[in-house]
Amino acid sequence: MGLLSRTSTFVRYSVEGQLPDNFWDFAAERIAQFSFQDIDDTFDEYSIGWVTVDNMFDSTFAHASYAVGDQIVLSMRIDERKVSKTLLKKFSLKEEERLKKERQIPRLSRNQRLQVKEDIHLQLIKKALPLPSVYELSWNLANNTVLFFSISAKAQSILEDFFKECFGLTIILQVPYLAAANLLDHSEQERLKEIQPEILV
Amino acid sequence: MDLVDIISEKKFLGQEFLTWLWYKSEERGGAILLPEAGDIQVVFEKHMLLESGEGESLERLICKGLQTELQEARTGLLMGKKLEQARIYLAKGDYEWRLSLSATLFEFRNVSLPKTVASSDDSSDPVAWEAKVLERIGMSEEAMHTIDELFRMFLKIRISSGWSQEKAGIKAWIAKGAEN
Repeated sequence: MGLLSRTSTFVRYSVEGQLPDNFWDFAAERIAQFSFQDIDDTFDEYSIGWVTVDNMFDSTFAHASYAVGDQIVLSMRIDERKVSKTLLKKFSLKEEERLKKERQIPRLSRNQRLQVKEDIHLQLIKKALPLPSVYELSWNLANNTVLFFSISAKAQSILEDFFKECFGLTIILQVPYLAAANLLDHSEQERLKEIQPEILV
Repeated sequence: MDLVDIISEKKFLGQEFLTWLWYKSEERGGAILLPEAGDIQVVFEKHMLLESGEGESLERLICKGLQTELQEARTGLLMGKKLEQARIYLAKGDYEWRLSLSATLFEFRNVSLPKTVASSDDSSDPVAWEAKVLERIGMSEEAMHTIDELFRMFLKIRISSGWSQEKAGIKAWIAKGAEN
């Protein structure tokens, strides 16, 4: 459902504020700084960064491959190690049982149980493989809008924060009322503010 | 007003637009005259989502089927349900799109783009790849731009004194559609 799929799904954002002077240098520096770092060979739980849209393993962007015409085309890749709640519960209970037998006590205190849960979570995280998610975007520099190829509310929220962190620019989802502002002149916008829902039956 | 408030307080705007667009598309058998672009084709296809109420009392009605006239959806409108999502066939010049538009958030879902020369899949040639990406973005933006122009048409009527006449037309169309 992405940019290169047979059918695509997307929403539009507006990019607020002025782009810096010598924008392409700025973009090159920020994209490199926020490029994706692999966590396959570490125990990190989470990694987020840019990769190229045609290859999720390419975060080097040779020849500024993100620059396509007057668009910046990127994929936001997120790798995350996750532990299922069921597994965490199972192995925590198992460890609690082992400790009770070892210490010959009928029950563990709340703090001890929390510690067990934390330890087990760490052990399981180290065994879990990072799950990747990739979301594409195109940033039209001529009209300063971004198409984001996902309608996941979670992915959108992550993009809004990550875009701001990377480029220092706020992006705003163009829901109809906000999109309308770009289609009307000032006096029309004022009239739009006043209208109320209509009953059409 | 923050975005969450805008979405909840102003969602009617997108829903009214979608209902108006359905009405407009049936007024002249699918043709709508766009200022500057001329006649374009807008046809509502056999998949719709309507809703009524909000929060815990939110009710959704999905209508789909190949050989229907969307009778349930028309009756739904008469019952006061709002059109939240519709599958739309769009044709402008030589190009055709099919897309589902959601009213509250303006999400463009399952957009199938026009078939063009650069649609061929040659990912080994960077120039061809770049042309393909640019064209896909361009065609996506063109679909969005066309919806924008339709939305602008709606907005200008909606805030004008001509709205009461347009509203009467929509009401009559809803009443007639549910009778058939």
